[in-house]
Amino acid sequence: MKAQETMPTTKVERSAKFVKTGFQIGGNYIKHYSKKLFNPELSRDELNEDNASDIYNSLSELKGSALKIAQMLSMDKNILPRAYVDKFTQSQYNAPPLSGPLIVRTFTKSFGKTPEKIFDKFNIKSTHAASIGQVHEAELDGKKLAVKIQYPGVGDSISSDLKMVKPIAFRLLGMSEKELSIYMKEVEERLLEETDYEREVRSSIEFAEACKNLENVVFPGYYPALSSSRIITMDWIEGQHLKEFLKSNPSQELKNKIGQALWDFYNFQQHELRKVHADPHPGNFLITKDEKLGAIDFGCIKEMPDDFYEPFFSLTSTDLFNNKEETIKAFRKLQMILPNDTSAQIEFYYKAYKEMISLFAKPYVTDTFDFSQEQFFEDLYTYGEKVAKMPEFKQARGVKHFIYINRTNFGLYNILHELKATVRTDTFKPHVKRN
Amino acid sequence: MATAAQIKKGYLDYVLTHDEQPKSVYSFVKKLKITEADFYAFYASFESIEKNIWFELTIETIDEIQKQEPWEQYSSREKMLSFFYSYVELLKSQRSFVIYSLKKHGKRLSTPEVLSGAKPIFLNFAEQIINEGLESGELADRKFLSKRYKDALWVQYAFILNFWVDDDSNGFEKTDEAIEKGIQVTFDLFQRSPIDNLFEYGKFLTQNGKLKEKMGF
Repeated sequence: MKAQETMPTTKVERSAKFVKTGFQIGGNYIKHYSKKLFNPELSRDELNEDNASDIYNSLSELKGSALKIAQMLSMDKNILPRAYVDKFTQSQYNAPPLSGPLIVRTFTKSFGKTPEKIFDKFNIKSTHAASIGQVHEAELDGKKLAVKIQYPGVGDSISSDLKMVKPIAFRLLGMSEKELSIYMKEVEERLLEETDYEREVRSSIEFAEACKNLENVVFPGYYPALSSSRIITMDWIEGQHLKEFLKSNPSQELKNKIGQALWDFYNFQQHELRKVHADPHPGNFLITKDEKLGAIDFGCIKEMPDDFYEPFFSLTSTDLFNNKEETIKAFRKLQMILPNDTSAQIEFYYKAYKEMISLFAKPYVTDTFDFSQEQFFEDLYTYGEKVAKMPEFKQARGVKHFIYINRTNFGLYNILHELKATVRTDTFKPHVKRN
Repeated sequence: MATAAQIKKGYLDYVLTHDEQPKSVYSFVKKLKITEADFYAFYASFESIEKNIWFELTIETIDEIQKQEPWEQYSSREKMLSFFYSYVELLKSQRSFVIYSLKKHGKRLSTPEVLSGAKPIFLNFAEQIINEGLESGELADRKFLSKRYKDALWVQYAFILNFWVDDDSNGFEKTDEAIEKGIQVTFDLFQRSPIDNLFEYGKFLTQNGKLKEKMGF
């Protein structure tokens, strides 16, 4: 593998990196087809390998804060395939907007009618791209609507892309396929769920209903009759994205209010619903004029089974750490300590995970927490870096549920950090049986 | 008295059931209980029935899309996309026939005989759309080349058709992708691009010579 010379730092550089990878992959395809012209027997293996190594090269140069923090609890190796897949899908679906005729076709396929016949007004030019589709503005009965349309063939590509990169990714990461396949499967399941728009409408309605009593959180209304497996119609929420909001110089009080709404939204889901909007990406939230947090995009939902929830949150929110035996028991349940570990290994992982989780659970220890403090995040990064270098963590550990729960909580921490909000962290507490 | 539609229907039924042409016109008309004269009044051969079906499917698509609401507002690029989306939609109703008819031809590069009626219709339609694009400035008018644009679209036609025949994705989604990506790329090439500018610059430099003297200081 090539040595990494520089790390792209600015956003522009990072995007440039992706564009470059896009070109390389495009180039690989062209190379493949031109070779194939002369040699029809050529298999796709070489192509797949070219692609995967280009993607990986660009990825490993992208150790930005998001990736770094994600590597933290997930022990570098567990999360990397996820990041790999994220970036991979990102580069795959950095697609140009759908043409007008294809939009019309998607509508006629779903409803037997063109969008003009369904809505009073429909803007054929999309307003922005969603992760695997694009969003259009429409109007019906005087109501402004957002219509999300999925790119064709996305579901198919995810499965085949994953199949294609899997073996190569394992080799590039120097891990055995068996070790990682359970995590990869989890990722594949979630990704495929995201392509099921009918399911997304159902979950969106369910979450909006369940969370309706939360203060300062609002949800768009959804229209199942105007939605299909490729189209979602919902109310248009007027508001600013996080970046615009921060540019408008909001008061600390307002930032706290939004941060609190976000905290409550996530902790209510985790502890009351036991399933959570697992994509806390700044693009999935809007801040409305009347100072509320609008939550959109329930494509990625992670459910937490009891055998994960109980041991995990009893670690973060009880005094379990005072009891070494019980702590090790919980670690075993979470497969952070494995049955075949030697006593020296048990001691090592006990210490390492205890330190890690104590760090992670810091916001929960006090009643309020100031997410603007650099020190906390600095500590997280440094610890993550340290752990990533330890040979003991080259091995996959931890149950598969960690992938998305970590992603969710780190995503949440990150947004709160950007907001520089101070929030009350005791609003929705974990429900775990006390010993 | 038999009609063209009856003969066509009988023929389709026969080839799709037997996966081959009837042995002779004689045996075919006997089954349909019509005379050979009836048959030849409409069709010269079995091939001409197939040719005719393709011809009609193509004409029908072109008629259909021009009636659609946003047609007038569409750019040339969108008009062509619209054609292909509607075409594969219409072909869906005759998929068995399409597969049978193209399979007979095999994987040769020449235009299948059965498409010899549809081809001029498509090319004519493509030319019309290209000319609109050239006039509006959407497409680049290039000496010699712009006359060949329609041939590039015919290549796309053949590709998309073959792609659709082999497509086994849900709702032929992959074909939608093939259309979207293929037509976009083709029209990107028809548009004015950096290559044109490079060409212009090269022309300028050669005409205003003494390149060597001007390169150094």
